[in-house]
Amino acid sequence: MSLPIAHAAHTLTTIAYFLPVVAFLAWLFVTQIRERRRSRG
Amino acid sequence: MLLIGHGISVRADLPIPEWLFGWAAAMVLVVSFVALAVLWPEPRLQRRTWRPLPGGIGRFFASRPVEIVCGAIGVFLFGVVIYSGLRGVDVPEANFASMFVYVAFWVGLVPLSVLFGDVFRAFNPWRAIGRAAAWVAQRASRSDLPAPLEYPERLGRWPAAIGLFAFTALELVYADGDKPESVAIAALAYSALTFIGMALYGVERWIERGEAFSVYFNLFSRLSPVETRDGEVGLRRPLSGLPSLELLPGTVAVLAVMIGTVTFDGASEAPLWSGISPDIASFFRDVGLSPQRAFELAFLVGLTGAVLFVGAFYRLGILGARSVGGGFSASRLANEFVHSLVPIALAYVAAHYFTLLMFDGQRLFYVISDPLGKGSDLFGTAGAQPDLGWIGANAIWYWQVGFVVAGHVAALILAHDKALALYRDARQAVRSQYWMLAIMVGFTSLALWLLSQANA
Repeated sequence: MSLPIAHAAHTLTTIAYFLPVVAFLAWLFVTQIRERRRSRG
Repeated sequence: MLLIGHGISVRADLPIPEWLFGWAAAMVLVVSFVALAVLWPEPRLQRRTWRPLPGGIGRFFASRPVEIVCGAIGVFLFGVVIYSGLRGVDVPEANFASMFVYVAFWVGLVPLSVLFGDVFRAFNPWRAIGRAAAWVAQRASRSDLPAPLEYPERLGRWPAAIGLFAFTALELVYADGDKPESVAIAALAYSALTFIGMALYGVERWIERGEAFSVYFNLFSRLSPVETRDGEVGLRRPLSGLPSLELLPGTVAVLAVMIGTVTFDGASEAPLWSGISPDIASFFRDVGLSPQRAFELAFLVGLTGAVLFVGAFYRLGILGARSVGGGFSASRLANEFVHSLVPIALAYVAAHYFTLLMFDGQRLFYVISDPLGKGSDLFGTAGAQPDLGWIGANAIWYWQVGFVVAGHVAALILAHDKALALYRDARQAVRSQYWMLAIMVGFTSLALWLLSQANA
């Protein structure tokens, strides 16, 4: 039973490391879409 | 890698979780980015400022006698590597060949290049032999030697990229790659190829573009404030050697190999790789390969995948930068900004191989006394033992985080400066750098995650 929990903890830690990248890329995409819409409007 | 390598001891009592260091590093990059946008409005690194060392010191260090002595030392060390590799004991950590090539040469020369400029060019044994052979041939024939072939432009730095990949495959893929005999044979085979390249295209041209280690150390030396110019050693602004990097085909590949192979070296210690590598190996076993060859091929797949991943991630940033306008093609932008990957490559090497250099580096003191590992004691240091406790695990972690952050901030500076020079509109230049910032944050997170895997 401890093995899946250990795996889950490891996966969560890995996700935590890459969260800033995902957040930054998401912000970048949203900003770019907004700018495109603004330039069309 | 061989020997003690990485992850020597487990970190304890860090004030915050390790992953939070990644968040802090990302914040440092974002703050640096904003500071650059506000405080760095004009390109400053594009002009090649340089002044010679005072008092004729610069001319002395670049003089012909010094060049000959350095070349002779390089050839001598190369000879010791070959001899000890073929005649010494077959134990990597007790033999000069493995220790010198993987620790002193591959890792140790990197900080020396960053501090003192292109040191390897002076000690390069292949360049020294090539130049000496050309000199002897010219004297013997008593006339000018036939001109070398013109180096094909499209070949660019591709031979160097392939050479570096082959070397890291020897180190990380081939099961016996750290064995002294393998190192010696690989060095002889590489020498033969290098001499052919120099004979065809000329010594200096091949060294500049095709010879893998010359290209590798030259890229790092461009971070240095020391530069040899017109037969004289002088000082320049740190980082200013990189914007003048000649835009040649294969340069992105060289940097992708430099970062990707270190990435794989770290990732191969991660539970993620331990989980999938047996499945890849079993695929190769099913087609009839021996278990050892199957595992080697699995590692080759992993190494190739890591290089392609780094190349693709950089390409993503370039496509993003292209989307802000400016009329540049993706390949032009990829070449224009590739120099900003050099400090990232340095950060990866410094952080990842820090423990290797700090601990295995000490072993060099006893292998120089006993290069063959057969009981000699040339300098009275053969009995020395490495001190593995002189720096704590937490201190190592702080150093590693520092290397990663400093390297990526330097990369941001280089990319920002180049964008200002490239784009007419300063606002467009900054917007193009949003994507480079994303790349830097990505590489930072990856670097810290890889380091954390050494203790996972």
